[in-house]
Amino acid sequence: MKPIVFELFANLERLAGTKECRIDVDGGVATIGDALALLAQGHPELAGSLERCACVSGDTIVRRADPVPADGRIALLPPVAGG
Amino acid sequence: MNRIALSHEPVAVEPLLELDTHPECGGLALFVGTVRDHHEGRSVRHLKYTAHEPLAAKVIREVEHSTRERYGVPYVRIVHRLGDLAIGDIAIVCVVRAPHRAEAFAACRYAVDAVKHGAPIWKEEFYTDGSSAFVEGCCIRDDLDEPDTASHRHHSHASHG
Repeated sequence: MKPIVFELFANLERLAGTKECRIDVDGGVATIGDALALLAQGHPELAGSLERCACVSGDTIVRRADPVPADGRIALLPPVAGG
Repeated sequence: MNRIALSHEPVAVEPLLELDTHPECGGLALFVGTVRDHHEGRSVRHLKYTAHEPLAAKVIREVEHSTRERYGVPYVRIVHRLGDLAIGDIAIVCVVRAPHRAEAFAACRYAVDAVKHGAPIWKEEFYTDGSSAFVEGCCIRDDLDEPDTASHRHHSHASHG
């Protein structure tokens, strides 16, 4: 299975010190929720912020119970504050 | 639709008004959000807006559409600035054209609030003491039942308005 790439925005990027986090996965990762659990293990600095992040594939919000997107890319969007 | 919703360049208000069209409209409501020099007691020197651009553009177009439908107004246009902004720079412009003023005001307010609460745009404030911080905002997960969502949103709206 190919790695899953998390794209980080705003405060998440600052916490991780990078725009992308790549995690290698085995067959046990089916859903976005599974992938987030692995990300939290590998990046404890992000763990406390993930609960309030929306996950996005392309230009669409996806849910924790959804399967990992085919391209393996998940954008993590922390709480928003435009305007 | 190729009208831009996000701009990395300064936003000009005049072209967004469409004054030469919509002859059926007798009301134009305009909200312009500008960069303020303070936030929650801290002195702000400048700020930076970033976005998840594909979703932010989509959300803004959806807000324009839903506002037209909800208030029965023919024209709603929103542009949000991204990048580095100085105090006084324009952060967001919302224009509503409507037959009468009541729905113009109401629709404009609704649209601005909806963008602030729903579009994935982040504000990083740089303070006069040299530090910076991301302004705490609204969670846009749609599969999280947060008991305090309503109060949180209210707080956020009030503090960033």
